Amino acid sequence: MTAQRTEPLAITPVAAAGWRTACLAAHLNGERFEGLFATIGDAETVELRALFSSPAETRLIVCEARDRSVETLVEEIPAAAWDEREAHDLHDLRFVGHEPLRPLLDHHAPLAAWTVPTVGHDTHEVAVGPVHAGVIESGHFRFHVVGERVLYLDVRLFYKRRGLEAAATGHPLATSLAYAQRACAACAVTNSVAYAQACEQALGFAPDRELGRARTLLLELERVYNHLHDISAICAGVGFAAGTMAYATMKERAQRLNERLAGHRFLFHTVRVGASDQTLDAATVQRARSELRELRAEHARAWRQLQFTASLQARLDGVGILTRDDADRLGAVGPVARAAGIPRDLRSESPHLWYQLFDPVTAPGAAGDVASRMVQRALELDQSFTVLDQLLAGPLTSGRTQATFEAAEFGVGRVESPRGATVCVIERNDGRLRAMHLRTGSYANWPALAHATAGNLLPEFPLINKSFELCYACADR
Amino acid sequence: MFVLLNQLRRIRRDMAAPPPVTRSSLALRHVDAGSCNGCEHELTAAANPFYDLAQYGLGIVASPRHADVLLVTGAITTRMKPALLAAHAAMPEPRLIAALGDCALGRNLLGQPDQHAGALEQILPVDLRIPGCPPTPATIAAALIRALEQRSRGR
Repeated sequence: MTAQRTEPLAITPVAAAGWRTACLAAHLNGERFEGLFATIGDAETVELRALFSSPAETRLIVCEARDRSVETLVEEIPAAAWDEREAHDLHDLRFVGHEPLRPLLDHHAPLAAWTVPTVGHDTHEVAVGPVHAGVIESGHFRFHVVGERVLYLDVRLFYKRRGLEAAATGHPLATSLAYAQRACAACAVTNSVAYAQACEQALGFAPDRELGRARTLLLELERVYNHLHDISAICAGVGFAAGTMAYATMKERAQRLNERLAGHRFLFHTVRVGASDQTLDAATVQRARSELRELRAEHARAWRQLQFTASLQARLDGVGILTRDDADRLGAVGPVARAAGIPRDLRSESPHLWYQLFDPVTAPGAAGDVASRMVQRALELDQSFTVLDQLLAGPLTSGRTQATFEAAEFGVGRVESPRGATVCVIERNDGRLRAMHLRTGSYANWPALAHATAGNLLPEFPLINKSFELCYACADR
Repeated sequence: MFVLLNQLRRIRRDMAAPPPVTRSSLALRHVDAGSCNGCEHELTAAANPFYDLAQYGLGIVASPRHADVLLVTGAITTRMKPALLAAHAAMPEPRLIAALGDCALGRNLLGQPDQHAGALEQILPVDLRIPGCPPTPATIAAALIRALEQRSRGR
C-alpha cells in the first residue's frame, strides 16, 4: 500500500461573491468537480459546498449564501447542472446565469417549465413512466421525437425520494449509516463505505489493514454481482434470452456466496463506522476462493459465447454513443466513462482500501457505445475476480481504526461503486450528524445517459438505458 | 449459444424445482412505489433458472390491464402514490394486491415522514404479504405459488 495520503481535507471558505471565482479556479487548476450541495445552517442560512479533487488533494469550497444567490458554474462545469437545479428546488437558491434553471425535484412545476422546448415539422413528445413495463424502478422519461428518432430526452426522476439525507441528521454518526445504506440496495456497500470513510475522516481516524481488506472484499463482491447483472440486463435489452439467463444464474451464485460470507445477499449490515466485525476462517476463504474461480471460468465460457453470437453483437455496435469529450464535459464516471476512453477509477486513489497497484482498464477502442460498455464490464469482472483472489489468500480478522489525524467538522468519503465514483460529504456537531450529502455514480451519470440517447431510435432506449444501468434509488435518495 | 443453452438445461435439471401442481396462471404487474431497488433485483431473480417462476404460470405482464396481481414494492412515497393508484384502477377485477418487502409493509421505514404516504395497507386492501428486506427470490416464489394454488382451489 502506498504511504497514507495525509488526511486533512482542504477547506476553502469563500464569500458568496467569490463562489464562482473560487470554484472555477479549482476547475482550471485541473481539479475534478465531484458535487455541489446546499445545506441549511444553524441560523437558517443556506450554506453551499462544492467538492473538487485531484490525485493529490480533496478540496471542499464552502460558502454562506446569505441572500440565497450565487453565480452559476454551469457553463464552465456542465457536470454541475443537476446539482444546481437540485439546490434550487430544495433550498430556493438562485444561480445567476443558469438560464433557464429548470426544476429537477419539483414535481408540481408545469410541463413547459421542466422540459426543453423542441419545435419543427412533426416533432412530438412520448411520455413514459413513472411505472414501466418491466420490473424497473420508477422514473419518468419524456422523449422529444421526430418519427422514431429521439431529438432530446428530458429525464424526470425523484419519484422515489424518501428524504434520507435530511432524516439522517441529528443522530449519532454511527446510527446514520443506515440511511446511507438504505439509499440503494445494489450500491449498499459502496454508499455505506463512503459514509463510514467520511465519518472517520471527520473524526481523524485511520483504518487499519484488516478494515481496509474487509471493506475491499465487500466492495468487490458487490461489483461482481452488479456487473453480472448488468451483462444479463444488456442481453435482455436485445431479447437474447440465453445470455440473459446465463448471466442471471451467475449473479444468483454470486449473491448466494454473499449470503454465505456476510449473511446477506446484498451485503446489508456489513459496514460500520470505525470498525469491522467480519471474520472469515481459513477454510471459509479457501472455499470462497475456489467458488469465485469457478464463477470466473463460467463467465469466461459464457462471454466467449456472447462474443461469437453475431446477432447479439450486431445490435450493440454504434448504439447510444457517448463520446470521450461529452463524458468528460458532463462529468460521467465509472464503467460508462471508461468505456468512452477515460481511464479513471477511484480504486487507484483509495489509500484506505486494499487495491495494490490497481490500474484502471478501458475497453479496446473505447467507442463509448453499448458494445463498449458491455466489454468494459466483462474486463472489470476479470479485474474484480483477480482482486478477490488476492484478498481471499488468507483468513480475515476484525479490523479497527486509530485516531491518527486532527478531527474536523467535515469529512469526505470517495468510493468507486459498480456505477462509478460515489462521494459522501458529512458535517458533524461533535458526535452527531449535522448534514450528509451522497452523490452517487448514478447521479453523476444520468445527464450523460440523456445525452447519449439523443440521435438514436426510440426503441433503442431500453438497451441504452440498460447499458448504463443506473440506479434511480441512488439518485432520488 | 448451444454451450449456454446446455448449461442452462443442466442448472434446471440440478435444481429440480417442485413441479407445477396447477394448470392455472397469474399475471403479475409490479409497481415500484419508492424502493431501494433490492425488491426489484429479487423479483427479477425469481425468474432466473434457479426459481423459474414462469414454469408455474407466473409471469410479469407489461400493463396493469392484463394483470391479476399487483406487486407493490417500496416505502410508498407521496410522489408515487398517484401512479400507484392509477395502476391499481387500471386492473380488471378480481385482483390481488401484494405488499412485497418490508417497506411496503410499513416496517422499519427510513426517511422524512412528509415524503411517505404510509404503508400499503393504509392505501389499498392488501391480500398478500411478503416480508423481508428484501425478501429472497425463494420467499417471493413460494408466496406467489401459494397464492396461485389457493386461487385455483377457490375456483
